[in-house]
Amino acid sequence: MSQIIQKSVSRSIGQRRWKKFKTIKRGYYSLVILTTLYILSFLLPILVNDKALIVRYNGEYHFPAFSSLVASIPVIDQFVSVFQSGESLGQIDNPGQVRYRALQQQYENENGDNYVVMPIYPYGPIEDITTDGNSAFMKPMVAEEGQTARIMGTDENGRDVFARMAYGFKVSISFALILVFLEYLIGIPIGGLLGFKGGYYDMIGQRILEMWATLPTLFLIIIVVSFIQPSFILLVLLLSLTAWIPITTYIRAEFYREKSKDYVAAAISIGVPTWKIMFKHILPNSLVPVITNFPFAVVAGITALVALDFLGFGLPPPTPSWGQMLSTGLQNLTKWWLVFSPMVALFTTLIMIVFIGEAIREAFDPKTFSRLR
Amino acid sequence: MLQYFIRRLLFAVPTFFGCTIIVFFIVNLAPGGPYEQQVQALKAGSGFGIGSEASGTAKDGAATIPPTALAELKRYYGFDKPVYVRYLIWLGLWQRETDSYNVKLGEPRNVGNGNFVIVSKQSDGTYSIVDKETNESRSHVWTAENAVLDSTGFRQLRVFKTEYAGILTGHFGNSYEYREPVIDLIASRIPISLQFGVIGLVLSYVICVYLGIQKALRHGSTFDLVSSSTILISYSIPGWALGLLLLVLLGGGSFFDVFPLGGLQSRDYESLSLGEKILDRAHHFVLPVIASTIQSFATLTLLMKNSLLENLSQDYIRTAFAKGLKEKRIIWLHAMRNSVIPIAANIGHIIGIAFVGSFFIETTFNIEGIGKLSYYAILSRDYTVVFAFTVIGVMVNLFGAIISDFVLALIDPRIRFR
Repeated sequence: MSQIIQKSVSRSIGQRRWKKFKTIKRGYYSLVILTTLYILSFLLPILVNDKALIVRYNGEYHFPAFSSLVASIPVIDQFVSVFQSGESLGQIDNPGQVRYRALQQQYENENGDNYVVMPIYPYGPIEDITTDGNSAFMKPMVAEEGQTARIMGTDENGRDVFARMAYGFKVSISFALILVFLEYLIGIPIGGLLGFKGGYYDMIGQRILEMWATLPTLFLIIIVVSFIQPSFILLVLLLSLTAWIPITTYIRAEFYREKSKDYVAAAISIGVPTWKIMFKHILPNSLVPVITNFPFAVVAGITALVALDFLGFGLPPPTPSWGQMLSTGLQNLTKWWLVFSPMVALFTTLIMIVFIGEAIREAFDPKTFSRLR
Repeated sequence: MLQYFIRRLLFAVPTFFGCTIIVFFIVNLAPGGPYEQQVQALKAGSGFGIGSEASGTAKDGAATIPPTALAELKRYYGFDKPVYVRYLIWLGLWQRETDSYNVKLGEPRNVGNGNFVIVSKQSDGTYSIVDKETNESRSHVWTAENAVLDSTGFRQLRVFKTEYAGILTGHFGNSYEYREPVIDLIASRIPISLQFGVIGLVLSYVICVYLGIQKALRHGSTFDLVSSSTILISYSIPGWALGLLLLVLLGGGSFFDVFPLGGLQSRDYESLSLGEKILDRAHHFVLPVIASTIQSFATLTLLMKNSLLENLSQDYIRTAFAKGLKEKRIIWLHAMRNSVIPIAANIGHIIGIAFVGSFFIETTFNIEGIGKLSYYAILSRDYTVVFAFTVIGVMVNLFGAIISDFVLALIDPRIRFR
């Protein structure tokens, strides 16, 4: 510790914490890996997809995977169509969505100028028995004739388990991140107000919080989902109904402590407006519990989504989700790969996030235990 | 101090009402309740009616259900009254109709236990109800009112008893699904969930306290680092998901057949001797107990470790060492006494978990405990059961926090609540 101080020019507390965080390898590498994977997951439509990257047909070029990449962006997806009929690309007697893997073989047999370039892993998360004639319950690393092996086999509907697992990662992390963002958006102002105002505000506010916290969220979700078709946004909103309570408690305690400090008194005495004191002066000093809590809130968000999907009250099918994959696995206990794939994905993700959380907590902890003897 | 706890208890009262009101209103106003489901079932012709009249129409298979049957159904579920009245009835602050019979004017009607009453109309338009045998007025017990027209267009009368019976008088009502008192239903499931809860509680406390102490004493050693990683991993895995994994691995599906797939006991349980019974139970308990306790391991162990570490770096420990006390004595008598305080304070919340049960674990392992009961009550819209669980949940939450504070004050004389 003393060495760092001697040679350091002058580092802000944030820089010191970041430096300490980097020394905790487990957490640091988890952060690097997870961030990379999450950014990559946005490119999934051109990495793992049953749509071709490039199709050359009679001199014309098509890029179906790229249009599905564009269509994977919310809001824009309303305006983009990824449908391409089989007939238009020479797949006779297929007026429906073109089957690119079959098309690839067809062009090869024709030996003409036409060709199809498939993504690295040419299976999509949604194609199943009905759309592509896949076989159900294929074992891992088994290939249909002339095609790439399916890393994790297929499920009861002939959907590719690996593709669903990969897409499920993106869904889970995005869901948890948005949920935590909403939690903070609601929890921080309310907690700040309760802690800053104190007195009767605090007393009544605390009672309302107590009431709100006892709401049986899961049961309410089950009831709501029974009459409204659940969607990504609806589930985020429903879960955030009660999920903001813990962060409110943390922030309230922080504000409660900070408001009695001299800098707040100084700010009040020179007439700084209340909201400015709260958000410009106190908030930056109260962020430690918010930041250290963040990874654990993400873990809770992922777990909640997986649990809801597992029970069948989560994202509507055929959205790829780990929870739904787990419940399929429970129904087919003898098909071990169905449980293993989402389980491994879930466990590794959660463990890495917890490692990050633990490292952040340690980096923010000024305490060093000195044991006597 | 006493004042503090009295205030806490008083605060619990509005919280309790607020919470039950929110849940009651949301659940009651949500479409697809038991009444609507019953009507659906009747329309589909597959339903089981509540009265002879209702099932009679169901057999006809027609989509038209006579208004009398509908009214009777509505009354059975209490949906003929506004929501706030239903809430007050449920609380026991408004009169609940208990026995209800259709009668015809002037004709004797059996109202249970061989008692017959005769209803007659009086000149001022009110009804008088007299006992057939003794001719005494029974108006203080029975109330009469116009019922809706029945299918033949004949206007009927209805007599009913009223009483104040709600959760405040300890009356939780009957389950729609199982047709038996909710209290009995829950009471029959509690021992099962409690067995888990208690075994899990004791095991996790014993293991975590011991592990926490060892980790604190060997802070920074390989043992500490390895166990920390293990604990972090166990913390990040949801218990039910781990249970699922263990089932696949050890439940005999694809890999090893070491543990049963679920349930509480083998099929031939009754024929076993006492020793074998205990072994059989234990055999069935291993996986669910692991799955239900694994996540609390991390919090408890790290709490124990950090709290002991913090105490070991305090001045009073330095003093104790300085005056030449033995290390064992210092750790176990001086440091431990102060280190268990946060652990003990945790107990209020954990007791709650043992009572509510975990329906995830119970569904995964197919155990008929409280958690599963509450889950299926929600699925089948068995509102009386759902509300009973809401009450239990709220109570456990509120009192868990108070118990925690109380235990804290009890074992730590420095703590003074104001």
